[in-house]
Amino acid sequence: MDQLAATAPASDLATKHAEKSGTAAPTPQQLMAELRIRPTPGPLRNLPSGLQIFLSNGKGMAGVIILAVFIIMAALAPLISPYDPYRRAGKPHIEPGVEHFLGTSRQGKDIYSQLLAGGRTSLTVGFIAGGSATLIGLIVGISAGYFGGRTDEILTFFVNVALVLPALPLIIVFASFVEEASPTIIGLVLAFTGWGWSARTIRTQTLAIKSREFVLAAELMGEAKWRIILMEIFPNMLSFVIGGFVLATIYGILAEAGLEFIGLGSPNSVTWGTMLYWAQHAQALETGAWWEVWPEAIAIMVTGAALVLINFAVDEITSPQLRAARLGGRIRRFLKRRGRSVDVF
Amino acid sequence: MLFLLRRLGFYLAAFFVAITLNFFIPRWMPGDPTTRIVLSLRGKIKPEQIEAIKKAYGYSGSLLDQYWLYLQRLSHFDFGISTVNFPAPTSDLLFYAAGWTLFLVGVATALSFGIGIVMGIYSAWHRGGFFDSVFTPVNVMLNAFTPAVVALLLWYAFSLEWALFPLGRAHDIDLTPGWDFNSAVNIAWHATLPVISIVLVNFGAWHLGMRNTMINLLNEDFVVLAKAKGLPDRRIRYRYVARNAILPQITSLALSMGYVLGGAFITEVVLNYPGLGKFTLNAIEARDYSFIQAQLLLLTGSVLIANLASDILNVIFDPRLRTGSRH
Repeated sequence: MDQLAATAPASDLATKHAEKSGTAAPTPQQLMAELRIRPTPGPLRNLPSGLQIFLSNGKGMAGVIILAVFIIMAALAPLISPYDPYRRAGKPHIEPGVEHFLGTSRQGKDIYSQLLAGGRTSLTVGFIAGGSATLIGLIVGISAGYFGGRTDEILTFFVNVALVLPALPLIIVFASFVEEASPTIIGLVLAFTGWGWSARTIRTQTLAIKSREFVLAAELMGEAKWRIILMEIFPNMLSFVIGGFVLATIYGILAEAGLEFIGLGSPNSVTWGTMLYWAQHAQALETGAWWEVWPEAIAIMVTGAALVLINFAVDEITSPQLRAARLGGRIRRFLKRRGRSVDVF
Repeated sequence: MLFLLRRLGFYLAAFFVAITLNFFIPRWMPGDPTTRIVLSLRGKIKPEQIEAIKKAYGYSGSLLDQYWLYLQRLSHFDFGISTVNFPAPTSDLLFYAAGWTLFLVGVATALSFGIGIVMGIYSAWHRGGFFDSVFTPVNVMLNAFTPAVVALLLWYAFSLEWALFPLGRAHDIDLTPGWDFNSAVNIAWHATLPVISIVLVNFGAWHLGMRNTMINLLNEDFVVLAKAKGLPDRRIRYRYVARNAILPQITSLALSMGYVLGGAFITEVVLNYPGLGKFTLNAIEARDYSFIQAQLLLLTGSVLIANLASDILNVIFDPRLRTGSRH
């Protein structure tokens, strides 16, 4: 973006425009302010372009900051939680106050401590499920795309099966035969059922990269296949892998909460999902104990929203058209104000 | 035609994978249903009786024999005996519940797909504008608000606080549903809240999908040519861009049917709606394994049929597929 400021044409155009209309020419700085274009801050300039785009994207950074706060709170949970989340800390259903920051549950457990401990488990399970699903998708997708032929046919069959089979009913069958599905088991089952999407995008991407010159060059130089995959292909689809990871994590966190909420998890573990389950079980809303429901509900919503924001930023890296769409709106408004045709964009 | 036959073959194979998983999961896990029944009787049972129970549930003999018997029973839609509604066969309850779920999910999916597509077209056409920059992120975030929380919120606000909508059920207890005006109004009134909550968590995905596909198409040469020819905007927007962008959405709609159904399950549980989700939860609590396994097969079957339907739609709308060439 800073090239726009550096090159002369912008100011040239402005002077010509001014000569015609007879008003003072707006300086390049004024034009940039109107277009809301800021020069890339110094420290960012040496980073890879993808990272630059991400770091200068307001939505993405907002998501990262929200998520970072949640992760730090979850990591520090044992240090900052005032009570033991697994034990009674007071009378049942105490309203939020000085003693209990977010009140207590029907069973007299401190909600704030439970929220912290629950976040620890829910986020861990979500990230592990998302990470494993992405890893499976990556391995299957790259192998199918790169090796092609019979390998591709067989792997693509399994990718399509994983895409097409409905995950939740399968998980229900699985979880109901395992006595008390712990968060770890739920996470693993989610990874096992949720890798189809990333495998498919990564396979398509591998096919696109495979025929590029630099891969051909590496092949002609006689590099080992694993080296070509790891050093040539993988770095070129990092943003797709990260995008897949973010989506799989959203799915992991939401699905875990949903499964535990309907009582498929182990009721003794403390996660946001089981907190909702107990709140629903204790008829917290009917009895007016809103504080047993809203904290974890809001936590789930905010986590989901933060991950969605990050995903928006990653999407703009993988697809330049989407990035252009966001900036294009400003340029069109800019031109419209000057009475120019806006049909070009 | 060849394309459709290939897809049909694939769906049959995928269904077979589901059937096989459904057979093996209970046999891999520590306790199969018969062990649980035997344990619950605490030794007050003769060995012959154990054998009889095992036989009734299809757990006796070699694994291969069991598998064969299982396939034979499935081909007659025999999912076994329900332990909850004993001695009614599982299929009765299953098809009753499936009817309500199908109604709910059908209406909600049609609405959310329609709303999402319209919003997607609008925000792609005016990309970077006010609507696009505000509502695209907000709608997608709604998508990440999880069915459980959204349904709970709506239920609290509209059923409990303001009592605008009923607290559950598909229709009033004293009403026998029929094809008359009264039933229709009553059923629609009961379905409003579940439908709204399914729509809220789903339409964002279609909005974003349609928008992104359209934005990528808008820079294609054929769109530029259409503009250069001086075609009216409306025609370019709908006939040129939207028509091409909607096909991938139909495909991903079919693929995400499993996810939508999963969300509907949770919505039904929260809002106490007598669909598959509600009865599956009851079955889990009562350890009614035949029902749990039957719902998996039923849902897999419906999702596969949805995918086949989307393939057929693709063939109708995309002339490239009609020739049978690989796309």
